[in-house]
Amino acid sequence: MSEIERPPLLSVRNLQVAYGRGKKRNQALKGISFEVFPGECVGFIGHNGAGKSTTLKVIMGFRYPEAGSVQVFGEEAGSSASRERIGYLPEVSLYYPFLKARELLELYGGLSGLSKEQLKTRIPVLLEKVGLAGRGEHLLKSFSKGMQQRLGIAQSLIAEPELLIYDELSSGLDPLGRHDLRQLLLELKEQGCTLFFSSHELNEVESLCDRVIMIHQGRLLRDLPLEAMKAECGDRSLEAFYIDTLREENAKA
Amino acid sequence: MSSVTQMFHVARVVWLEALRRKELYVIVAICSGLILWLGQIRFFQIEGMSKFYREMALNIMSGATALTVLVLGARQLPREFSARTIYPLLARPLSRSSYLMGKLLGVSAAGCFCLLLFLGLYLLGCLSLGAPLYGHLLLQHLWLQLCMVLLMTSLSLLLSLLFNLDAAISVGLLLLTLSSVISNLFLLIYEESNVLTRRVLEVLTWLLPQLPLFSLAEKNVHGELWDPLSASVMFQLSLYAFLFSALYLGITLWLFRRRPL
Repeated sequence: MSEIERPPLLSVRNLQVAYGRGKKRNQALKGISFEVFPGECVGFIGHNGAGKSTTLKVIMGFRYPEAGSVQVFGEEAGSSASRERIGYLPEVSLYYPFLKARELLELYGGLSGLSKEQLKTRIPVLLEKVGLAGRGEHLLKSFSKGMQQRLGIAQSLIAEPELLIYDELSSGLDPLGRHDLRQLLLELKEQGCTLFFSSHELNEVESLCDRVIMIHQGRLLRDLPLEAMKAECGDRSLEAFYIDTLREENAKA
Repeated sequence: MSSVTQMFHVARVVWLEALRRKELYVIVAICSGLILWLGQIRFFQIEGMSKFYREMALNIMSGATALTVLVLGARQLPREFSARTIYPLLARPLSRSSYLMGKLLGVSAAGCFCLLLFLGLYLLGCLSLGAPLYGHLLLQHLWLQLCMVLLMTSLSLLLSLLFNLDAAISVGLLLLTLSSVISNLFLLIYEESNVLTRRVLEVLTWLLPQLPLFSLAEKNVHGELWDPLSASVMFQLSLYAFLFSALYLGITLWLFRRRPL
């Protein structure tokens, strides 16, 4: 089935968001539109302050749009029905330092409606998947940044979501952690999970994504399948192409 | 997933925080120590020592419970915002109202636990001193203190959305400690004021929580002179606490819903 026939899981239409008022007003998003279809893996790239996190926050219902609309699974963004089917990893993964890793996953799983029995079987498996086997009874205050990020990935997967939304995918992870995460995401992708993530790591985007969306200063610059993007890159790497594109845009401005 | 179950999940985190953070143990330990120490005082066998004990212990019990609730309640939302723990939480199918009610439940329950713990110690002291207990008045005092816990919890949650953490605790402490002074001051000024000032004072009296209403410490000390409060007064006081709690919680929810994260 082509994308035209399939209904999108995520549909962003003319999204506009501004921070502040009056002279301090900053238009973070200036009317971006895109869609994500079931089973796709879409990378969302842009420099710091381009509007990536803001877009993800609106999709999750944390921030309200000034104009435009966002629909997730055909529901308004932020609705309980849409959040039931999403696994979200925030930009900075920090969790309650006074909780144990198991308790944290019990909390998020419980809030997603999982029973105690389901949690009992799912938590050890997830902890092992993210490389935290045997750490379930450790307090989170003893966890390093990378371990917290791994735990963040585990919490995003606890309710077996259909759509994963990750803000800064591998932030805080060491090379081994990144490799493990890539393997895990490839596995999830093979199982039919839809992935939408922002990242500064273009190698990661290249190795995981089917499609790349590039934004700059709140505007959509490119929304292309990876192969089309690579064709546009020519003999340049994705990273070199990205930098050249941003320079061209800055020169225009 | 029922929102009641979700509220209990959120409340459980508050309880675990209260159990595992050390500062609350300090409040509880100091106040428990004070109550127990007061129970041991036998100054030259002075008559009326038990009254001194009861007055001090009941006031410490009330103040320490309110302080515990204020400290625990005021930091709930600011800490979630600053540590960004709110994002993965609200990324679940959890409404902001269930989240807030969960916080209310957790903090109130922790306050009730402190109150009952202090009450147990107070009763131990009374037994050791052979002090008389006025059952009805004590039960009424306990119920009103539970109402105060609810009121203080909703007030601390509201203050934490209006101010930063330090300011919320400071304003809460001022209201707590100066509440009776402010009420008395209003009464004094009222007599000498013009119509406009009187209206302002009346509005302020209705806006500010009248916390001394929820303490029957004096009546418990001089129980031989006082009858228990009538059912209608108890009902009005309970209604006052519930209405004010609902008002504070309603404003908190309104602010919280409008707040972008």
